[in-house]
Amino acid sequence: MLPTLNLTGDLVLAEHVSHRIGKVGAGDVVLVRSPVDPRRILTKRVVGMEGDTVSFYVDPMYSQTTVVPKGHVWIQGDNTYASSDSRHFGPVPYGLIQGKVFFRVWPPDGFGTLEQ
Amino acid sequence: MVGLVGRLWNLQYKSIVKEALGKTLAVAKFFCVLHITNTYLCTFALAYGPSMVPTFNLTGDMFLAERLSIKFGKVGPGDIVLLRSPESPQKVMVKRLLGLESHSVTYVVDPMKSDRCDTIVVPKGHVWVEGDNIYNSRDSRQLGPVPYGLLEGKVFCKIWPPKEFRSLMKSGMKDPGFVVDAI
Repeated sequence: MLPTLNLTGDLVLAEHVSHRIGKVGAGDVVLVRSPVDPRRILTKRVVGMEGDTVSFYVDPMYSQTTVVPKGHVWIQGDNTYASSDSRHFGPVPYGLIQGKVFFRVWPPDGFGTLEQ
Repeated sequence: MVGLVGRLWNLQYKSIVKEALGKTLAVAKFFCVLHITNTYLCTFALAYGPSMVPTFNLTGDMFLAERLSIKFGKVGPGDIVLLRSPESPQKVMVKRLLGLESHSVTYVVDPMKSDRCDTIVVPKGHVWVEGDNIYNSRDSRQLGPVPYGLLEGKVFCKIWPPKEFRSLMKSGMKDPGFVVDAI
């Protein structure tokens, strides 16, 4: 998730209310339970909601376009070169979202809301 | 004389307020315990719909589901589970778990139309769920394998209607010759 979040670990605050009332949208950084390993929680950015058309690069030459199915979201890490996300495991059901990140607490020079 | 009455009134007022606060705190604590139990230990739910006939009725059966098994990974094929729907995140469905990751599951694709069977290997981190009433159930045969993270609870006991009160532990594997219990 470079450059939004550091390599060595940032402490962020995430709230559990938004995803229950449906207020998660494209551009939000969310905590998502991994569909590949249910014990891990990933931090990724929502790029597309259900019904959106998403295009992504499978390799530098070839790009692919998909429509996000009903009840799912498309998540991608900000550092597309080194991120395992929806480009690899496909759209993720909305029910796997655990929370929305809204604030960074540590390190102190990054204190504040995350950049878009 | 007036001063004494005034002081007695103040004392009574203070004790009433203290008692009211104490009772409110007790009620708040009770709701906290209820919420924690509901979210992390055990919850009850009402299931309606035709997809789990004959295990659950069409009009609605109430049952208890516990949440610890899911967190510790102690579910297996044959268990009835509560899961969040992958296509409507506000809905919770109740289905029977038929396969964990890397299990090979054989299913009848569309029993109303033909007898065609298909076999699939459940991918990593996913599970295969089907309703007991395969003729009228929207489950993994249409939605595909469901991520394990969507499981919310394991049903262990049916509590309503009272004459059908029974444990639903792993005794009823999907059996084509299943006879409706006349309890």
